[in-house]
Amino acid sequence: MDNNKYDAIVVGAGAGGGVVAKQLAVGGMTVLLLERGGWPVYDEHINDELISQRTWVLGTAFGPDGEKNPRVIVRKDGSHEVIGPTDGWDYNHIAACVGSGTVSYGAMAWRFMPEDFKMRSTYGNVTGSTLEDWPLSYEELEPYYEMAEWEIGVAGDDTQNPFAPPRKKSHPMPPFEYNREANVLKKAAVRMGLHPFPIPMLRNSVPYNDRAACIRNRTCCGFACPVDGKNGTQNTTIPRAIQTGNCDLKTGCKVTEILLDDSDRAKGVRYFDVNDKGTEAYADVVVVAASAIESARLLLNSKSKLFPDGAGNNFDWVGRNLQGHAYTGAFGLFDYEILDYVGPGASLALCDYNHHNEGIIGGGLLANEFNRLPYLYTGIRPPGSRRWGKEHKDFQRFSYLKNSQVVGPIQEMPVFESRIQLDPAVKDHWGMPVPAMSGERHPLDHEHCKFLSARAEEILIEAGAVETWQSIGGRGGPSGGQHQMGTLRMGNDKKTSVVNKYGQVHEIDNLFIADGSVFVTGGGFNPVLTIMAIGYWVGDNIVNIWKGTGLKS
Amino acid sequence: MKNTGLTIGGSLILPACYYEPAPFRFFSREEADCLIAVCECIIPADDAPGATDAGVIYYIDKQVMGPFIKFQSIYREGLAALQKDCYKTMQYKFEDLPSDQQIKFLERMEGNHETLKSWNAFQPSQFFNMVINHTMQGFYGAPRHGGNKDYMSYRMIGIGYPQITGQNRYGKGDSNG
Repeated sequence: MDNNKYDAIVVGAGAGGGVVAKQLAVGGMTVLLLERGGWPVYDEHINDELISQRTWVLGTAFGPDGEKNPRVIVRKDGSHEVIGPTDGWDYNHIAACVGSGTVSYGAMAWRFMPEDFKMRSTYGNVTGSTLEDWPLSYEELEPYYEMAEWEIGVAGDDTQNPFAPPRKKSHPMPPFEYNREANVLKKAAVRMGLHPFPIPMLRNSVPYNDRAACIRNRTCCGFACPVDGKNGTQNTTIPRAIQTGNCDLKTGCKVTEILLDDSDRAKGVRYFDVNDKGTEAYADVVVVAASAIESARLLLNSKSKLFPDGAGNNFDWVGRNLQGHAYTGAFGLFDYEILDYVGPGASLALCDYNHHNEGIIGGGLLANEFNRLPYLYTGIRPPGSRRWGKEHKDFQRFSYLKNSQVVGPIQEMPVFESRIQLDPAVKDHWGMPVPAMSGERHPLDHEHCKFLSARAEEILIEAGAVETWQSIGGRGGPSGGQHQMGTLRMGNDKKTSVVNKYGQVHEIDNLFIADGSVFVTGGGFNPVLTIMAIGYWVGDNIVNIWKGTGLKS
Repeated sequence: MKNTGLTIGGSLILPACYYEPAPFRFFSREEADCLIAVCECIIPADDAPGATDAGVIYYIDKQVMGPFIKFQSIYREGLAALQKDCYKTMQYKFEDLPSDQQIKFLERMEGNHETLKSWNAFQPSQFFNMVINHTMQGFYGAPRHGGNKDYMSYRMIGIGYPQITGQNRYGKGDSNG
């Protein structure tokens, strides 16, 4: 691995890139894995709610650094506002560290359902949406889901879920036991004829892969794990990639451009190292896995004679169709402490409302919510409640452990005008134009949220809640958040997509994308296991092509 | 302070009064007295501690010298405007009002009441919303940031501290202040 020349360069060491790097390294390719953040350290922010990946009023626990990474949000009136990661949700940040969001996520491990790959065929055309089928089917991706489940580690048992997609092999670890809240909700859901089951989780229900079992820490979602019982790429595939001897991981490296030659090839990348020294590295293959906003930004900032508007962007699809998940659901107050406050909180789910509901396109899972820490809970009140004073304090004091939340991610309708572009004026610490995010959600998202919230409330009422209220999402935008997807769409037609079904950028044979960017649609599920599966899928395809012929220089 | 006495002609003369070190990093004593009273209305003490007991003022004072540096001017201008309007309409400093009158005044701020005339760059409700938010953070957030002394809000809620779920590693960063 001399002279900055590798067989492959992978940009981004998260859920997708961390897997691709390992597949390539094990497949015999030399790999440079570049990550803009550093290694996550639990002890720095421990269980501090105000500096976590769930509440970030004083900063994000695992990045990105706000000073160096401003973004621009384009408001409805066309004005451009510069924002940082601690300025609410508009920034749409994803952790910048080795493992990225997989260090601090809630770790739900969902396979998408077959319909999620065939949304257009299943539901038809949707006005105002670019709803489309994936060129890849569930059946094709199934073996790669299995790889993710077994190598990274998932605890679950979907035999109780009649809507679970077909699988060849069971989960490698038994499911977690229900917490107190889930036991109550389960009985109610069963009485209603629904089909609850334990949430599949990328956490160890038993010791696995030489790491400890989960200790049911109450600060799980939004935090790193103090005993390393939560599974991400930082403690599985990335160390394995490095162990092969084929993979160099360089942290603190900000990639600003994919170097393209005058024809149809990528040559390497330009990046700033941990000391902010500008440098270049070269490879036969470049894989971008920097998350939906940053991956699209990088392609837009990589221009050549053949691609004057950015790599893969000759048909103006790069950065389009930015999607996330509107969360929607209901709260229920009980007259006893329904929460036992055992981590992570989320324990039970049902998929009865993911597909085939009258008048609903897609839908979403429902689950009980991850533990809400005290500051986050100060914003949770029944409609019309006072926001301060004794009434607010009493509600905090007396309802905290009596309040159950049933909630889920709605499958959003992709919108062509929800997008990221390079901001014409604002540049980041390294002089790279920042992403400008604009657009709005499809109006159907809010309608679908109303449907799902009403179902959530029914369950809470049946479970015996003495007071319930809905919280209905799906308005505003652009969407994105920590589930950001869709900006480098996968498709067969180069005029209406950016990559082919193998993650290969149309017309640039040695440039691949392997993260949530390639999603055509986002499912009604947390996307991470599908991003990991895409990582295995794209990685294996690269190794096959590279070994066969084409890409070796 | 080390230098509390002066030696003159070989005899030690103790000063009649000594300087107390400034207790706050950003706020003046007057600003702090007013802000403490506002925070206490937001989370009042009863049989459980309130914002003052938990040291919310220390949280805000610490953060405006760090991550909240951008809020310095809104605090400075907002507290001045609040105090000015309070004196004009209620004839007392805010912190000297009885608590029912304080609450009434804050409700006027919440609704941008027409009698509040000292506000320019931002509205009274914007200022108050910010203080509500910061008070909640200081009361319910981690003690390492200056508030929530000894995790008193956690104990009030009944979730206790330290956690006993399988770990015992709270040495770093957990001390108050």
